[in-house]
Amino acid sequence: MNPALLGVPAPAVPSTKLGAAGDGLLSEPLGHPDFFNVKELFSMKDLFSARVHLGHKKGCRHRFMEPYIFGCRLDQDIIDLDQTMDHLQLALNFTAHIAYRKGIILFVSRNRQFCHLVESTARECGEYAHTRYWQGGLLTNAHIQFGAGVRLPDLIIFLSSLNNVFEPHVAIRDAAKMNIPTVGVVDTNCNPCLITYPIPGNDDSPTAMELYCKLFKMTIIRAKDYRKQREGAVQGRPVHHGDAGPLEVEHPPQWADEKK
Amino acid sequence: MAGSRVQKVGSVFSRTRDLMRMGVLRQPLWFEVYAACPPRREPRYRPARPRYGRARDGVRDIFYPEDAVRAKFYRVYGSGPRPFDLLQPNYKSTCQRFVEKYNELKEEGKIEEEKLFEETGKALLASGIILQRRGTDKVSIKRSENELASGLKRLHF
Repeated sequence: MNPALLGVPAPAVPSTKLGAAGDGLLSEPLGHPDFFNVKELFSMKDLFSARVHLGHKKGCRHRFMEPYIFGCRLDQDIIDLDQTMDHLQLALNFTAHIAYRKGIILFVSRNRQFCHLVESTARECGEYAHTRYWQGGLLTNAHIQFGAGVRLPDLIIFLSSLNNVFEPHVAIRDAAKMNIPTVGVVDTNCNPCLITYPIPGNDDSPTAMELYCKLFKMTIIRAKDYRKQREGAVQGRPVHHGDAGPLEVEHPPQWADEKK
Repeated sequence: MAGSRVQKVGSVFSRTRDLMRMGVLRQPLWFEVYAACPPRREPRYRPARPRYGRARDGVRDIFYPEDAVRAKFYRVYGSGPRPFDLLQPNYKSTCQRFVEKYNELKEEGKIEEEKLFEETGKALLASGIILQRRGTDKVSIKRSENELASGLKRLHF
């Protein structure tokens, strides 16, 4: 994959704080625990029919996943969907806030079966994906590999936290080193320690992966649309509600450039 | 701008907060969001140590009362006459029908416990499902009986 993905120059002035109007812009969503209403995007039934509760066999179980496992049916671990719902809501909420604040989101998955799905999801929501071999210094040596003034991702989403040899993905450790928060789907054979917002769930079934991709895409697009609306309102332009056409904003949104 | 690459000490949040307090780091994008909606468990590094002595994991086995009937069904009849069709969402296998019939007859209460199994077989025959007993293979039955017996023992609390 093209390492020039992350070569977005850092903005000269963080465009977040804009004075009185800017403060309200950022602090408004933090007032409510589920401001973007991510809970309505999924239900327990959706998770069950997407087979999110199915884990690996007992022998593959990671010790730190035991709190998230409901039980073991004939040697196959079953993940507790009550906890999954709760963790998923937290993770989606965090993602939405990051997207609202115009953070860079990087999707990582080393599962070859879903590499295309992850890349197309990232493209559709205007964010980035890295589903190929992870070179050692992509995050830790970024200033040398990409040049000075690189802006690193503000959130890394792992749709599968293991690499091709069933070891934890190097990006988990590197993100913790670079103080980048992570969201990750952890299966029963994964280590959830270093992931900031783990989502215990199946990462091997196509239905489950499609569900996760759909949920992340919807949250990110929802958050970005809300941001566009708020910026339009702050600038005094009329906010079009219920229009089929795109919202008119003076400057093109930064994430409209699809750098893949 | 400074950073802290010690991922094994504290969490991302604690390190960032302390660096900010020292004044060497500007507040990152995600800091306020994390502070407002923290995760259920702080993402600290934990080394994975093996268990010693009699420590056991807390994962329960999932067994249902019907599993006794299912175990006996599979022991006597083998896997049912029809293969499982998992493409249908509400598929009911022969074993599942057997179990439901068994529970119905048990609730009626007219038949004794020992004869329930055979009566259910006859009832299913009457409704058109033909069950064929498995060939007597003593070695395999014995071994599977041991496994199923240990499973059944756990059910008879």
